[in-house]
Amino acid sequence: MRDILSFRGFVALFLLGIIVAGISSAVGQIPFGQPDSEVGQLYLENGLQDTGAPNLVTSVVAGYRALDTLGEVVVLFVAATGLSAVLATSKRRVERELEDASLVLKTGCRIFFPLILLFGAYLFIHGHLTPGGGFQGGAVIGSAFLLVYLGCSGRRVSADAAGAIESLSGFGFVFLGLLGLLVGGSYFLSNFLPKGDLYELISAGIFPLIYILIGLKVGSEFAGIVDSMIEESK
Amino acid sequence: MVNPALLLAVPLALAFLIPLVRLVARGVVKWIPVFAMAFNFIASVLIIPRALEEAIVTEIGGFPAPFCINLVAGPLGSILSSFIALIGLLVAIYSFDYLREVPTAKYYTMYLLLLTGATGIVLTGDIFNLFVFFEILCISSYSLVAYQGNKAGIEASVKYLVQGSIGSSLLLLGIGLIYGQYGTLNMGDLAGKIEGISSPSAFVPLVLMITGLGVEAAIFPLNAWLPDAHSSAPSSISAVLSGVAIGVGLYSIARILFTVFGGTALLETLAVIGLLTLLVGELSALSQDDVKRLLAYSSIGQMGLIAFGLGLATGEGVTGGLFQLLSHGLSKALLFLSVGYMIYRSGSKKISDLQGSWKRTPVASLGFAVGAFSLVGLPPFIGFPGKFLIVRSALLKGELFYTVLVAFVLFATVVEGGYFFRVVQIIFFKGTGGRRLKREVAPVSGLIPLVVLMLLILIVGVYPGLITGLIDSAAAELTARSSYFTLVMGST
Repeated sequence: MRDILSFRGFVALFLLGIIVAGISSAVGQIPFGQPDSEVGQLYLENGLQDTGAPNLVTSVVAGYRALDTLGEVVVLFVAATGLSAVLATSKRRVERELEDASLVLKTGCRIFFPLILLFGAYLFIHGHLTPGGGFQGGAVIGSAFLLVYLGCSGRRVSADAAGAIESLSGFGFVFLGLLGLLVGGSYFLSNFLPKGDLYELISAGIFPLIYILIGLKVGSEFAGIVDSMIEESK
Repeated sequence: MVNPALLLAVPLALAFLIPLVRLVARGVVKWIPVFAMAFNFIASVLIIPRALEEAIVTEIGGFPAPFCINLVAGPLGSILSSFIALIGLLVAIYSFDYLREVPTAKYYTMYLLLLTGATGIVLTGDIFNLFVFFEILCISSYSLVAYQGNKAGIEASVKYLVQGSIGSSLLLLGIGLIYGQYGTLNMGDLAGKIEGISSPSAFVPLVLMITGLGVEAAIFPLNAWLPDAHSSAPSSISAVLSGVAIGVGLYSIARILFTVFGGTALLETLAVIGLLTLLVGELSALSQDDVKRLLAYSSIGQMGLIAFGLGLATGEGVTGGLFQLLSHGLSKALLFLSVGYMIYRSGSKKISDLQGSWKRTPVASLGFAVGAFSLVGLPPFIGFPGKFLIVRSALLKGELFYTVLVAFVLFATVVEGGYFFRVVQIIFFKGTGGRRLKREVAPVSGLIPLVVLMLLILIVGVYPGLITGLIDSAAAELTARSSYFTLVMGST
């Protein structure tokens, strides 16, 4: 309380007030709920014909703004690489007593691990049709590996294998984009495969491929992150 | 013709391959960034002549603008991407033996991604895409600062991480407000839609975005992270962070202010903030006894000078600012690489421990002198034309306000000369004092980039006409807002 009443606190509150007033006046100008956004409107109207993906979020993520998605994949890649690099060089081991997992956790882990993997794969394979997608499916797969570390102590992901999947699928994404540049009318990341029939599993051109690659990449990345964190505390 | 998308696709593909290559052939890894940056350099230079005729607009995915993300390789973008690739290439060669003691595959991955992020920033024509590449640049910088795993590095990295993340959040908030208000993210489209910055719907996002980008550009008072981060990082990384990363941050501010918002009303503010940054940076540098911190503070000062030049907003002032951006990049990279070389031998970052380096590491000492003289703005080095253009265009404005500001700029130059000459004197004219060295032999591969940078600084310093024509068109691209709109959106 004394901190707030001090001069510095007062100045901080004053500045905060200005920021709040500024941002709320700007937010007040946004026409919420009206179809004013030209770009958004076009995505809604033409998304299905342009991309053949009934999940319009996917048509934006993997189609109209695919470069952003590639960028986000890279952001995650940098973050995972950076984390493992920093953990590897600072060789400080935290000694901790490890308790054995309970029977419920051990059994649950065995039963649920394959099911979670399956669910994650479902999410990214059907990403162009139903809610879900590469990042979501990958995160679910990552959580399966977290469960393994909690429940089945002693089992580890091979760091090399996870790294290999990670880098192959990242490379695959860029490679698909480059194929689009070569084959499909000289645009990087263009959807050069036939769009197929609506609502079919194999449709929407390269979107399912992109999502499978992202799913594999994000999944192995999260598994790798969990692995380097475990390494730290052993 | 080279598609500008390749400038991003090739380095990204290679960066993804590094972990795989490491498993197969460990020795090849260090060549990958060299190869990628050599490709980018050649490709960007090939793009420049075409970009001078008309900027190359590439739609990613093949949808029409503003519904897709586009890359705009105009004179400015292609010059900056060749500059990034050149520094990246030289520092990659420098890293060959400099980093013998630490695990290198991850270093090279992050190093390559840092440069790709910077290239993406200067090429993109979409404000959200700018944010994504900014994140790539920042996150790889955070981890590279902490790469050696010592306490100073980790502390600096955490400071940088916290301030950088706040900056990124402000940037994202600004972008969100823009999208809500104008319904588009494309820079060209926005240039046509935003009419002035007086209404809160334009002014608030502008301020948020500039504050967010200002953290990376080290604009006063958002630069508290920089001295720690740039001095604790490995010297090769300091060279890239100081030479490329903060310059790219300043480029984004200019792009947002000039092209997207047309914020001519804020230019005086930019000039004053630039001057403050310049004074704070140079005066703080004066009292340093750690040579890398000294260089880091000098970078802050130089960013201020560039911002001052851009804030003049006359054709010549912007040209001077951009020229200074390039000349600072080359000179500061040379300074950090030379100092890194001397520190590698002596094992100490203290200025007083550099005495007599001239006898032990003549090439690096010469590199330091060339870089320092160039930054101070002595002819015939590359720093002279940049400073000269900025000062001249400020005086040509003929207003008392700018004349007073120029007096302060010249004062800052005197301060800059003061501390750089002191270090040069210690390096060249003091005896070694019989101190023992940490390492007797220094890697030869480190000398190649030093020599190349010295030659570039001298050649362009003697013949500034080699690049001023290019930079003039780049400055014209930055200030001509309506032609950017026509370029991206077509004449309709």
